[in-house]
Amino acid sequence: MMNQNQAKRLLDRVLVLAKSGKSEAIASLRNTRGGNSRFAVNEITSSSEVETLSLSVTVKIGKRAATATTNQLDDRSIDDVVSRAQRMAKLSPENPESMPPLGKQKYIAVPRASDPATVNATPELRAKAAGAAIAAAKGAKVTIAGFYEHGTHVSALASTGGLHAFHAWTSVDLSCSARTPDGTGSGWAGATSNRVGDLDAAALAKTAVDKATQSAKPRRLEPGKYTVVLEPNAVAGLLDSFTGNLGARRADEGRSFFTKAGGGTKIGQKLFPDIITLRSDPADAGLASAPFDGEGFPRAPTKWLDKGTLTGLTYSRYWAQKQGKQPTGNPDGWILEGGTATREQLIKDVKRGVLITRFWYIRQLDPQTILLTGLTRDGTFLIENGAIAGPVNNFRFNESPVQMLARCDALTATVLTEGARVPALRTHEFNLASVSEAV
Amino acid sequence: MKLSRRSFLGGSALAALAAPRLALARGLLTDPGLDDVVKRALAAATKAGASYADVRLVRRRNERVNTREDRIEHVGSSEEYGIGVRVIAKGAWGFSATPLVTVAEAERVAKQAVAIAHANSKLLERPVTLAPVPANVDVWQTPLVKDPFKIPLEDKAELLLAINAAAMKVAGVKFVTSWYAAIQEWKIFASTDGAYIEQELVRLGPGYSVTAVDEKRGEFETRDHGLPPMQAGWEYVEDSTLLADARRIGEEAVEKLKAPSVVPGKRDLILDPSNLWLTIHESIGHPTELDRAMGYEANFAGTSFATPDKLGKLKIGSPILTFYADKTTPGGLATCGYDDDGVKTQRWNLVENGVFVGYQTTREQAGWINEKASRGTSYADSYASFPFQRMPNVSLAPAPRERSLDDLIASTDDGVLVSGNGSWSIDHQRLNFQFGGQVFWEIKKGKKTRMLRDVAYQANTLEFWSACDAIGGKSSWALGGSFNDGKGEPTQSNSVSHGCPPARFRQQNILTTNRRAGS
Repeated sequence: MMNQNQAKRLLDRVLVLAKSGKSEAIASLRNTRGGNSRFAVNEITSSSEVETLSLSVTVKIGKRAATATTNQLDDRSIDDVVSRAQRMAKLSPENPESMPPLGKQKYIAVPRASDPATVNATPELRAKAAGAAIAAAKGAKVTIAGFYEHGTHVSALASTGGLHAFHAWTSVDLSCSARTPDGTGSGWAGATSNRVGDLDAAALAKTAVDKATQSAKPRRLEPGKYTVVLEPNAVAGLLDSFTGNLGARRADEGRSFFTKAGGGTKIGQKLFPDIITLRSDPADAGLASAPFDGEGFPRAPTKWLDKGTLTGLTYSRYWAQKQGKQPTGNPDGWILEGGTATREQLIKDVKRGVLITRFWYIRQLDPQTILLTGLTRDGTFLIENGAIAGPVNNFRFNESPVQMLARCDALTATVLTEGARVPALRTHEFNLASVSEAV
Repeated sequence: MKLSRRSFLGGSALAALAAPRLALARGLLTDPGLDDVVKRALAAATKAGASYADVRLVRRRNERVNTREDRIEHVGSSEEYGIGVRVIAKGAWGFSATPLVTVAEAERVAKQAVAIAHANSKLLERPVTLAPVPANVDVWQTPLVKDPFKIPLEDKAELLLAINAAAMKVAGVKFVTSWYAAIQEWKIFASTDGAYIEQELVRLGPGYSVTAVDEKRGEFETRDHGLPPMQAGWEYVEDSTLLADARRIGEEAVEKLKAPSVVPGKRDLILDPSNLWLTIHESIGHPTELDRAMGYEANFAGTSFATPDKLGKLKIGSPILTFYADKTTPGGLATCGYDDDGVKTQRWNLVENGVFVGYQTTREQAGWINEKASRGTSYADSYASFPFQRMPNVSLAPAPRERSLDDLIASTDDGVLVSGNGSWSIDHQRLNFQFGGQVFWEIKKGKKTRMLRDVAYQANTLEFWSACDAIGGKSSWALGGSFNDGKGEPTQSNSVSHGCPPARFRQQNILTTNRRAGS
């Protein structure tokens, strides 16, 4: 793995080669070393140890720009990637939106971003975790499949304008799905972090196994609009499409949910209840983010929804300059703030509703309303009179995260899942549009 | 902005004259240094205890140009090179990869792959066994005339900007984005079973997206269009009507914005090949992957309704439907000479006259269903990726007699015609699906009457294909495809094509996706 000095020396060398005459350049390096193990049908099915590298060079000649990338760091390859970027930049038509490379920046610290135990994780550690999951499944006479992946990452950037950025971090992800032998029950559990020590394979497997056995032989529930309790992974799935639509440019151009009727954006509008606050925080090490984006622009802790009011949209450097706004860079490390309810309390106040573990195959149907479709899976239960009444069939939903947030009335504390920190929540009139017979 | 004169506006007369580039094949391993790396890696794995090992040396090149309206947004070229060693030791798989292609590194990752296999073997219940395969030694290349990586960037940029300009001339069109992407994949595969195979695949595809905006109503609609990505040379782009179509596509975006929202309900559905290929991919291609059906993808992509006990029995669709897998389809994105197990590629039926009859398999999987040989569908998307079962081109055979899309329309009383791909989503056993499209036409009494918007069709796979009562003939058959079919953990990307004629489905569930305020 590259350390900070090695990365700086390499990038500086690239910049010396790339800078000729009036040209400017940005060089970026990504280096990941990681391991993963898959298990299925109660045994390990594949396992890999892999190191990957990526050196990108963007050459800018006036308003002409091009990017070349390689994963080879020998002298000839470095010469080649630089000359490829130069050659392409000269051939490229001018881009009036091209911005000069960033100069020196200040970045926030990310305490404990890199976890030594995760750096040193081994195939044996993964096999042990898989073994614990398989043992839990065998004990309950079900079948389990899962995936354990950990990585050590380095991201470094430098520019002819004086930019130097370096960040090293670790990440880890474990998920598992258990199925009953008759094929009618399925349960999932998973967690992400930046520390292998945070993950308890046996506990996650127990959750998946319990859900599988509890969800077996589901009863038929008709499609319709229901009060739903969404577990954190389901919330993260819908939230991802919401945050992906936060671009200011599309809103200003009149082609976004965040476009205000008559022009402009919805910044300042109260869109959701007071309990909804959405922020991004690159300093939250568990989110395995970086304190700068792909351009080297500093990521700052930012509130995007504050007590239900839209407080910001994302601005690229070009669009911010054009609109007279502050650029935000490309944010990462999403947090939907939680509440004080427990999962049981979310369920307790529901007369008739559905508990959803997670969603699958989420796709956008309409960017104007952020209407999404997708399916429930791996643990869908009927709630009646404040208690879980039993398993039900899966559903296809046609619903918008906008409505999920607008109709939300209770949240639990947050957990880490899918690279975000989110709570379970309760929301109403959720459109479960058709039955899925899949288990 | 000045651009030089380029030839994309004209046809490619050279295409008919030039010999396939196979004549210029480099032949096996002109670099003796690479031969040494490959052989030493296999020897190191064997010495460390592997009962089987294979080595893939892979170089991938990507080129991409993105534009919007009158400007270039991104020009990029990337290269990736490395070596991956996969082994079986004590009956378990192990895999390791490095971007440093040297003898020392190759030997190191070979030994590491064996160590990983040993760690995994402790949890093994059934040792991996591989179906036999001949020791294939060969070279295979995408047949093409003009290597797209040798065509100047200016040509590509000029084509895209000309498309944008043509679409922007249509009143009501406010935004256009366009793109061009090409992928070159060169690889050597060698195994301890005697395989030594060099292949070079070239895939490319341009496309564009036109947005019309009605500022008064605060509404917008987008119309996407493109050449189906293919394995081909630049002549595929040159000879296309992509630029000539731009004005019509712009007009369709504007018409779509003015079109009435569909009234939901049961209607006959006619799907153009530009829409149907993806429905085939999701509802026939994925369920017939044997690893899915056996539970190997249960934690991510899911399982399948088409379980092995249903092989030869399950009626998937009406008797007019035969779906075949084919890694030899000319131009198909998944076409190649040999898979990443070293198995020669082939064609076979998955669904015959409506009945489920076949699976996609690898060497590891053939024995799971008592087949003696692999169907040759192993693939890894990078030197750093573990090869596993990936979808071949899966296509719907045309009707034996000629019948066109117009014939299908003429014999439909009340229906909706869908072309192009919109959103798509299918459940984790491939039963409940919901698909959108790009352009939707109302059909009344055998005629296209008016454009509709906000259309999606939702169905159960078996009911949907059983309701298919008419398909087009050979001359209506066309390939569609995608560069990016995701599967596995970590997710790998596979390029795959699907050919089909247009088809009609009786009394399907048509939904509206309209949730606009005031609608």
